[in-house]
Amino acid sequence: MTPTTTRTIRERVASDAVAAADPALIEARGIGKRYGAVRALDDVTVAIRRGEILGLLGENGAGKTTLMNVLGGMTAPDAGAVLIEGRPVRIGTPRDALRLGIGTVYQHFALVPTLTVLENARLGVGGPLARTPGAVERRLAEVGRQLGMDVPPGAVVGHLSLGQRQRVEIARALVRGARVLLLDEPTSALSPPEVDGLMATLRELRARGVAVVLITHKLGEALRLCDRVVVLRQGRVAGDLDADILDGDSTVAERRVVDLMFGGSGVAAPPPTSGVPADARAALAVRGLVVRGDGGDAAIRGLDLAVRAGEVFGIAGVDGNGQTELADAIAGQRAPSAGTIAVDGVEIAGRGVGAAATAGVGYVTGDRIGEGSVAAASVAENLALKEVGSGGEGSRFWLDRRGMERRARAAIERFAIRAPGPATPIGRLSGGNVQKVLLARELARVPPLLVCHQPTHGLDARTARDVLTALRAHADGGRAVLVISSELDDLLAIADRIGVLVDGRLAATVARVDVDADAIGRLMVGGHVSAPDRRPA
Amino acid sequence: MSGAAARLAPVLSSLAAIAGALLVGGLFLEARGKDAVGGYRLMVERGLGSSFGLTEIAIKAAPLLLVGAGLLIALKAGVWNIGVDGQFLIGALAAGVVAPGLSGTLPNAAVLLLAALGGAVGGLAWATIPALLRVRFGLNEIITTLVMTSVAINLSAWLVKGPLKDPDVVPPQTRLLAKAERVPDIPGTEVHAGLIAGLVAVAGVAVLFGATVPGFRLWVLGQNPRAARHAGMDVGRLTAGALLASGALAGLAGANDVLGVRGLFQANWNPGYGLAGFALVYLARLRPLVVIPVAFFFSFLLLGGDLMSRARDVPTQFVEVLEGLMLVFFAVAVALERGRWPHRRRSAAVEGSPGPLPAQASGEAA
Repeated sequence: MTPTTTRTIRERVASDAVAAADPALIEARGIGKRYGAVRALDDVTVAIRRGEILGLLGENGAGKTTLMNVLGGMTAPDAGAVLIEGRPVRIGTPRDALRLGIGTVYQHFALVPTLTVLENARLGVGGPLARTPGAVERRLAEVGRQLGMDVPPGAVVGHLSLGQRQRVEIARALVRGARVLLLDEPTSALSPPEVDGLMATLRELRARGVAVVLITHKLGEALRLCDRVVVLRQGRVAGDLDADILDGDSTVAERRVVDLMFGGSGVAAPPPTSGVPADARAALAVRGLVVRGDGGDAAIRGLDLAVRAGEVFGIAGVDGNGQTELADAIAGQRAPSAGTIAVDGVEIAGRGVGAAATAGVGYVTGDRIGEGSVAAASVAENLALKEVGSGGEGSRFWLDRRGMERRARAAIERFAIRAPGPATPIGRLSGGNVQKVLLARELARVPPLLVCHQPTHGLDARTARDVLTALRAHADGGRAVLVISSELDDLLAIADRIGVLVDGRLAATVARVDVDADAIGRLMVGGHVSAPDRRPA
Repeated sequence: MSGAAARLAPVLSSLAAIAGALLVGGLFLEARGKDAVGGYRLMVERGLGSSFGLTEIAIKAAPLLLVGAGLLIALKAGVWNIGVDGQFLIGALAAGVVAPGLSGTLPNAAVLLLAALGGAVGGLAWATIPALLRVRFGLNEIITTLVMTSVAINLSAWLVKGPLKDPDVVPPQTRLLAKAERVPDIPGTEVHAGLIAGLVAVAGVAVLFGATVPGFRLWVLGQNPRAARHAGMDVGRLTAGALLASGALAGLAGANDVLGVRGLFQANWNPGYGLAGFALVYLARLRPLVVIPVAFFFSFLLLGGDLMSRARDVPTQFVEVLEGLMLVFFAVAVALERGRWPHRRRSAAVEGSPGPLPAQASGEAA
């Protein structure tokens, strides 16, 4: 069964169901949104009923957050309409959304940490609620009672736990009269008991007639909590699962969702590699690695990893499971709080970027614009950024502009970089060409270990293929390549082995020839590999 | 396309900022019942039309060039040295103590060089505390350098009223250098050699950023500190280096005024070159070679302010009003310019428009 037929049938069934029941509390109808050449949303129709918890699932970039931003008034759609109780409404700003009863709880909370719970609840409140003295206070107490909230209104938000802050966010939305509650990855920052508490809260809201939309990539939680699940894939509704399936056998439901999320990706056969002998030299050996994220919590929690010379090792996983922290630690940009990182036997953990580079690490960062390049600097200058003054060809003091230009011309030709010339500021280049410059910069030094984070993010298909081919060729030359990507197709195309990163640990490591997209997809969302998929790698 | 227009835009914004400041400054004067047109005419006639005026402009340009060279290094590296005035005063005091202290023991040229060095070291020392606080603890240098200026004003005044005072005179000041002991004039002129030091300093900054590895690294740091870190540059050392170099040049400017013009350091003397330096360096779009003519223009304004205050009873602070207005108009002009040429937005920093504020704690080592 192809995804297209699935979708048509399901859509008809879904819309029949909506017509039969009372009109949806809120409906997104035929929503479209483009960002440049990327269709973030394409003719998406989703209806949410009163007293329903709807799960919105999908890979990174499937359009979940865009859809939520459209409903929350953060993004204006290019096409389609939003209806509330069957009536079309215009949601131009977050304030409009609030007035219409749509409350949003973002992944990164929008509370002022130095203010109290009550003061936060008062912020931005308008209308009669603001004019009546003590009204917000009374509403907050009432909402708090309903939700069984354990947070006193006088508590300063900065002193609260993440779970408590989230309850304050929810309470604040309800104080303002939200009938629809949108939650973006609400469990990502919570501990397991806090997740249970959140679920209880959401069930309570459902019983009181609030419509809840839960955006998540955690399959297990969605299946436990939601009355209905809609799966987005590449900006379209791939299908939905209703209560009948969700209440049935959980492995069946899980398989269906994974099918809808990852299925039919059309990846060709395994890469034409003979495989790397298991006793090949380990170019990278990581043991017991613990790395803190920017928030201070451990993002990598005890990770072991070995990458052999001549192999492409792929790290799959949903973004935010520790990818950036892992790459940064290996490249020397982040000091781990525990564990060892050895490159060709040289220990480099916590010794800085210089030590990592000397030991042989090349690093193509996932943040091309933010840290990989200097927008105002020329292509030639960006190519020379890491080697300048290192004493290689030029002087340590004088800038060898002529040599920089010569090497830039060579790189532009070799990697088919579309730039008017070496002197063009890199900020004028497209994302794909910036990526080629970054890749050229690393490959010029022929690093024994190349780490590449998000190699094809935002690239057109042809450039993506060029980049992947270059990475594969680097490994085939006897060097080790570590590719970290949330695009599963990248890894399936070039990796010899794939490790799945979940919550800062490798949930599994499998040989590429043994798996397909579905198997990896299940692992990424916290499922398990069924017996035939798994073989020691 | 509008390539030529886009190239001209920065020049036009700077000129518009100057014109706007002169216009609004003139309106202030008129509102206070002064003759603005007559005042400006006086500035031009006496400032540019007499050899006295031209000589004075050249003399007053020297400290502006030195301060400007230092600010170029800091601001291009994205380090906000707001404490130029404090570094200037400590440098001036150091020179005012070293020169009379050594006079007679060594040839005069050596005394002057050591006193100038003392001035540079004084300014550098005053920048050291903010540099350490920034690199070790990620404290914002905008605050620390500003606070250090207040300390410098009071500390230098106290020192010159007490331990470092010339005991032979009543006013709180260091011992006056005789005319013959000061920096000699450039042959054939009545302009002392400090001007050459200023020109060399700015030219040196031009070479630093145009042709050397440290200059390139400082510029990358100013453009994108995360990229500097990613490329393995020692961000802490670069930040500290920019702040210290900037402080040393400000201190040298202080030595210039003491050794070349005034001959002594007096309590509560503060010419406030920091504000002038910021205005001139931004009007020059952080381009070293453009700083030179702009410094002479600011020197002309300073002289003009003096002349107006004497002849027309205009407050001496009028020039500071003009400098402040220029910064305000410049900020507005840059905002307008970016709106009009949106394709330049990402590369606008090339032209030396004010960069983003330094990221908090981005300077700490891993």
